Amino acid sequence: MADVETIERVREIDVDKYKYGFETEIESDFAPKGLSEEVIRFISGKKEEPEWMLTMRLDAYRRWLDMEEPTWAKVDYPKIDFNDIYYYAAPKGQDGPKSLDEVDPELLKTYEKLGIPLKEQEILAGVRKQGEPSTLDEEGGGEYASGKVAVDAVFDSVSVVTTFKEELAKAGVIFCSISEAIREHPELVQKYLFSVVPQGDNYYAALNSAVFSDGSFVYVPEGVRCPMELSTYFRINAENTGQFERTLIIADKGSYVSYLEGCTAPMRDENQLHAAVVELIALDDAEIKYSTVQNWYPGDADGKGGIYNFVTKRADCRGANSKVSWTQVETGSAITWKYPSCILRGDNSRGEFYSIAISNGRQQVDSGTKMIHLGQNTSSRIISKGIAAGYSDNTYRGLVSAHRKATHARNFTQCDSLLIGDKCGAHTVPYIEAKTSTAHFEHEATTSKISDDQMFYCQARGLNEEEAVALIVNGFVRDVIQQLPMEFMAETQRLIGISLEGSVG
Amino acid sequence: MAIEKTTAETAYLEAFGAGRAGALAPHRRTAFERFAESGLPHRRLEDWKWTDLRRVLAKPYPPLVERPAPSAEVAGLVARSPFGEIARARLVFADGWYVEDASSMPVSSGVDVTAMTAVQGAAVEVSPREDDPLDQLNIAYASDGAVIRVQEGANTDIPIELIFVTTGAHEATHTLRNVIEVADGASATIIETHIGAEGACVANTVMEIRLGRDARLDRIKLQHDGPSTVHLSNLLVTLGEQAVLNDFTLTAGGEVTRNQGFITFAGEHARANVSGAYLLDGKQHADTRLVVDHAVPNCVSRELFKCVMDDEARGIFQGKVIVRQDAQKTDGKQSSHALLLTENAEFDAKPELEIYADDVVCGHGATSGELDENLVFYLRSRGIPEARAKAMLIAAFAAEAFDSIENEAIRNVFNALAHDWLDESTGHSAHGASE
Repeated sequence: MADVETIERVREIDVDKYKYGFETEIESDFAPKGLSEEVIRFISGKKEEPEWMLTMRLDAYRRWLDMEEPTWAKVDYPKIDFNDIYYYAAPKGQDGPKSLDEVDPELLKTYEKLGIPLKEQEILAGVRKQGEPSTLDEEGGGEYASGKVAVDAVFDSVSVVTTFKEELAKAGVIFCSISEAIREHPELVQKYLFSVVPQGDNYYAALNSAVFSDGSFVYVPEGVRCPMELSTYFRINAENTGQFERTLIIADKGSYVSYLEGCTAPMRDENQLHAAVVELIALDDAEIKYSTVQNWYPGDADGKGGIYNFVTKRADCRGANSKVSWTQVETGSAITWKYPSCILRGDNSRGEFYSIAISNGRQQVDSGTKMIHLGQNTSSRIISKGIAAGYSDNTYRGLVSAHRKATHARNFTQCDSLLIGDKCGAHTVPYIEAKTSTAHFEHEATTSKISDDQMFYCQARGLNEEEAVALIVNGFVRDVIQQLPMEFMAETQRLIGISLEGSVG
Repeated sequence: MAIEKTTAETAYLEAFGAGRAGALAPHRRTAFERFAESGLPHRRLEDWKWTDLRRVLAKPYPPLVERPAPSAEVAGLVARSPFGEIARARLVFADGWYVEDASSMPVSSGVDVTAMTAVQGAAVEVSPREDDPLDQLNIAYASDGAVIRVQEGANTDIPIELIFVTTGAHEATHTLRNVIEVADGASATIIETHIGAEGACVANTVMEIRLGRDARLDRIKLQHDGPSTVHLSNLLVTLGEQAVLNDFTLTAGGEVTRNQGFITFAGEHARANVSGAYLLDGKQHADTRLVVDHAVPNCVSRELFKCVMDDEARGIFQGKVIVRQDAQKTDGKQSSHALLLTENAEFDAKPELEIYADDVVCGHGATSGELDENLVFYLRSRGIPEARAKAMLIAAFAAEAFDSIENEAIRNVFNALAHDWLDESTGHSAHGASE
């Protein structure tokens, strides 16, 4: 069923005709072009931030000035002129809307055009009231069938609408934009912001720390199971606007939260920079599930345009028995530089990383994870599926390390790569460091193409070449798709079909 | 960014003098200049992230520019080679210099053996690796080396042994560059034995190997250097069409070991089996960097490394398989397995794949862990004492790598070495377990 849909999508869409490549005309409120202390003060002022926040931003900026752009990743792109970027663009007239009525109709149209009519979209568009079952729930059930999704929509750097706030507040969950959190919950922000990814962590994290314009903040109090999925859409809209999101999620003792992040961006010719930072903190017995579907503009068939996606995502399993699970589907962006990591600090803590990375055309993906075992009896699992087609390069880069005190640490890693066509590259660069004998590490990687036998079998049963490829690829990534929340499953299968369009024949 | 020269680097730079090792003379100056530029490799270079030579060489080890006086110790060290009964011919190098008295040349026709210093100009092809500081250091300072040429169609399967001994009498760098050419249709077995006494020194040895069409080479290396030796080695192999390389290295000696291997397929339908084992204890450190380059289609490569680390030893395996765009139908497999015997032992691995062709089957596996308690329990439940049970399992773990050695006599030597190591290092005794 899903495969038929994939094929239909593939037919509809051409690489050059990026489906989500439209531009919404909303007036923006720009900071002056370029990066300087004045721009940072401007951003901080715009957001009415307290003095301590500005100090931290300026500290990050000064560190950034002394840092060099990392070049170790297997990606190749023209040098970025950091002074040719707008660091702040807020949709005009969006001074903190409190309800849907206040939302610019243009924005709602944008969501419609995005064509991701997930449950969030239904709710946003008023098709269905919260709590009503969604048609999307029919095939599934379990924990994701609640039909309740809270959205913190991020439209070019500023959170414009936050739904379900009240219901979440009843459970004690704080879900708001990071700027609001800085104003309303400074004690939490001060305690946890920069505690996982410090200002000077790496080049792009430092840049983000200096200029981040908005993002999401989640705090789940002790013992609370967040009553709904939390979700954010990122969208890059205004031209020449770098997006610098900052997300901070704290799961207090014994709590649980599932967070979804999905994104699309309009088509344009100039490269756009995106340097986000996500910090997750799981205290004792807490669990965070973080899922991403990334479908930004990958550039046209000649590799022109496309998003530069330089992201730092890191989770700190600070408490005993805590758990963090990263699931990502990376199909978009011209350049992807992204390594969602887990620091397994608490005893018995667990980290998981499930990834599908698809590259086609001239895309370059360098992605993977780090599992840093510090506590005793910590465990981690990495399943990475890379698919390279066209002229793309797809690299898995990962680190699994066990500290001397991380006795009985366990890791299982599986990295599989699939090559479609003979002009693309698939690479695996894992680092394994075991500093204690009781650590048990297993790493396995394979690279292969779709076998002629598989293709022949499918085609003998009446599938054409593209249908056969879509079927086989969907089977190849099945282990990871199963980790996605229901809301993303259907969309992901379509995305895979779209991403591989034009790779055969 | 300019980095201040270390005392070891300065000592190298000051010791440079053109002149020796005939065939290398044309390359010497360039190599020296490149080394002067790059300095010793350090941890900021990706390939050297776990072995920082600037730190390892904490004091100067200038090259020995003059032939040292004959040492009485050489004969004793040579006698320690376990291949005495197996090798047909022996070439002995002591502290970087050829020792004619201790050597015996091959008797049959079909094999030419000369010293590098006796070869003039371009009579022997030398292929420097320009981006490799270790290779530049080798060319700039090589004092000698063997040139072995197996003629077309010749079969010298009775092994030729190259013995490299370090007497430990000189706190110096002993540099040798050897060239082995196996012509079309020829085959040879070459044993490389490194034996050293106590006393700090650096050994830098390069093997340049070229295999012609249908050629075959079995190369077996035993590294049993002294406890204070820094062992640096570079293996550079080019395989012609349908050539076969069987390569095995046991690293048991030395304080710090860096083994580099660069295997390039230049002709189709060739095959390379590269395997190795570590038996490390104390504070030994061994780092293997192995790059297999599938530059042409239809070749097969297999890599298997079994690493045993006791005490505070540290083993590192960095393997990389490159499959070029044209190299369709490549079959490449790589695996590295580590057995850590104590809490403080360490294993680091970086098994890389870099693949540009789609019709390939490539994979790698890496594991690290301690002895399986279930297996120990199984053996104990059958009446085998714990220490012996563990020794049996350790020996069996390492033996998987020895299995790739086709010559049975040589394979037995390694099995015996492993048992000796278990007796000495761990106090476990595998002997008698099967008797």
